[in-house]
Amino acid sequence: MADRVITYSEAINEAHTQEMERDPNVILFGENVSSSWRGATKGLKERFGRERVRDTPITETSFIGMGVGAAIRGLRPVVELMLVDFGLVAMDQILNQMAKSHYMSGGAVKVPMVLRAAYGAGTSSGATHSESLYSIFAHMPGMKVVLPSNPYDAKGLLITAIRDDNPVVFMEHRLLSRTKGPVPEEPYTVPFGVANLVREGSDVTIVVTGKMVGLAMEAADDLKKEASVEVIDPRTIVPLDEEAILNSVGKTGRLVVVDEDYERCGFSAEVAAIVAEKGFNNLKASVCRVATPNVPLPFNPTLEKQLLPDREKIARAIRNVMA
Amino acid sequence: MYKETKLNLYRSMVRIRTFENGCRKLISEGKLPARFGMYTGQEAVAAGVSAHLDKEDEIGSTHRPIGHLIAKGCSLNKLMAELCAKRTGFNKGKAGPYHTFDPESGSLGANGIVGGSVPMVAGYALAHQIKKDGGVAVSYFGEGASNQGGVQETLNLAACWELPLVFVCENSSPEVQRMLGHEIDYPQLSIERVSDRAAAYGMPGSSHDGWDVLKIFEVAGEAVRRAREGKGPTLLEFKVHQIEGNLEGRIEAEEDEKVWCPIHNLRQKLVADGTLTPEIDDKIRKEESVDVEEAITFALGSPEPEPIEAFDDVFVEGA
Repeated sequence: MADRVITYSEAINEAHTQEMERDPNVILFGENVSSSWRGATKGLKERFGRERVRDTPITETSFIGMGVGAAIRGLRPVVELMLVDFGLVAMDQILNQMAKSHYMSGGAVKVPMVLRAAYGAGTSSGATHSESLYSIFAHMPGMKVVLPSNPYDAKGLLITAIRDDNPVVFMEHRLLSRTKGPVPEEPYTVPFGVANLVREGSDVTIVVTGKMVGLAMEAADDLKKEASVEVIDPRTIVPLDEEAILNSVGKTGRLVVVDEDYERCGFSAEVAAIVAEKGFNNLKASVCRVATPNVPLPFNPTLEKQLLPDREKIARAIRNVMA
Repeated sequence: MYKETKLNLYRSMVRIRTFENGCRKLISEGKLPARFGMYTGQEAVAAGVSAHLDKEDEIGSTHRPIGHLIAKGCSLNKLMAELCAKRTGFNKGKAGPYHTFDPESGSLGANGIVGGSVPMVAGYALAHQIKKDGGVAVSYFGEGASNQGGVQETLNLAACWELPLVFVCENSSPEVQRMLGHEIDYPQLSIERVSDRAAAYGMPGSSHDGWDVLKIFEVAGEAVRRAREGKGPTLLEFKVHQIEGNLEGRIEAEEDEKVWCPIHNLRQKLVADGTLTPEIDDKIRKEESVDVEEAITFALGSPEPEPIEAFDDVFVEGA
């Protein structure tokens, strides 16, 4: 079974299908979710009907807030943001209402909602259609933040997200949608807060998420004669598997953090700070970050490429910490 | 209209005002840790609307929530305890007046962001629509919130999906200007009636005096019925005058404010038609005072949360 190979989008589609079969309270809405062009959701309306699968007006504030309310009243909405950048118009509903209603109510209400959002650069789309922004969601207490890097994790993490009683921001990299990988046909869960040891090594730890995992693997291959590289994909940045990161750095003594989000106050800074606070004595070299510089992503493909983390930049960072 | 219904409306309004006067007293004594927006003068709206709602129906409220919560039937003890930031409050002292949630009475919830609760109320309505349980949700907001993008978006969405939802705009605009003590150079609304916007979204809308509880009861009944029957949302606007200032425990408004005072107005009518005798009036006021005193005793006698409890309920554990 595990040998069946499907795409990242198909894996996400299958997770929706199986969860909607299992639980009638799971509903899905967002912009164009019934479109046959949208691999992650196509066919769901035909299968589950227009009550449970709905196309919304292009009004993120109202439909995300509607998801919060529906979740409070016992449904399990999966709400799709076409691109994470579009969520910026709905920050009140995401950061105030979705994230904090459980806490503000002293636990009287819960918000079992999944906000799915496509993210990521590399398509020459400019600064409102390319960003990552997951650090913003990780910053606000109350939301879990999930970044699947492959089809297997995409399906298992989405099923976990739908079954979780907390709000979950589930971020799908745009350029991973057609990547293929082995995915079991039966439903399964991938736990939150458990990092995936993608590659074992002894000289350098790379902590990396999403699409960047593939690039880190390529860089590690490129330098395999110079350094034994361990690659850790946390899979969820809230909750974060700190133990896996600290244990790995305890072994290697060197840390590179690769992060597609903007560098300042972001996930890369968080991982560096955790290791500085709790694993400083194990470090043999300064921590090195490879993140998108604090520049809005430009349209011009050459300018965009120059800003993004890539195989060469990761390889340079590995050499830096080895020097 | 039944005599009992009229008296229930009267009692509901007296309860809200008595409770808020209790809050004022506790604030002045330093026993309630924050000042917040009062509902005094607006009681007719919550009383008249909620008279049509069941426990299973929801309301979404504002940062002026006390009337909405009480009219929906929440526990006065737990509400006062929450306002006094006690562990026995609805939300263990985490919410205060601006974020109060009481799922038991369907009060979900107060909201510290102007217009913030309105999209969420669409979610409550959506849950009723999907479960086909005949429930409705009511969204309270002010004329300021009516300009917020999220409110406009939700009017549109609710109309498009024919959600079982009643939008209730409490328009205190002239009153806000009076309280600020000057004329605002640039108005926040370019129309006289917020309800005029209903037509733009394809739903019925109408405007009424917010100090006439019998009228409010009538029009809200029609809007709630329409929603329950699956015919979609309605936008109701009520002009209200907030009677702020220190009432010092009085139910009565000042002479010049009586024209806008819903309690005074209903009393005049009920005395005239023989529904309300001085004895019944006295009995209602006394009973509500006893309940509010009990709520104050409960709140003041309740424990504070332990410091460590600040860390509870960020996430649902074991989920």
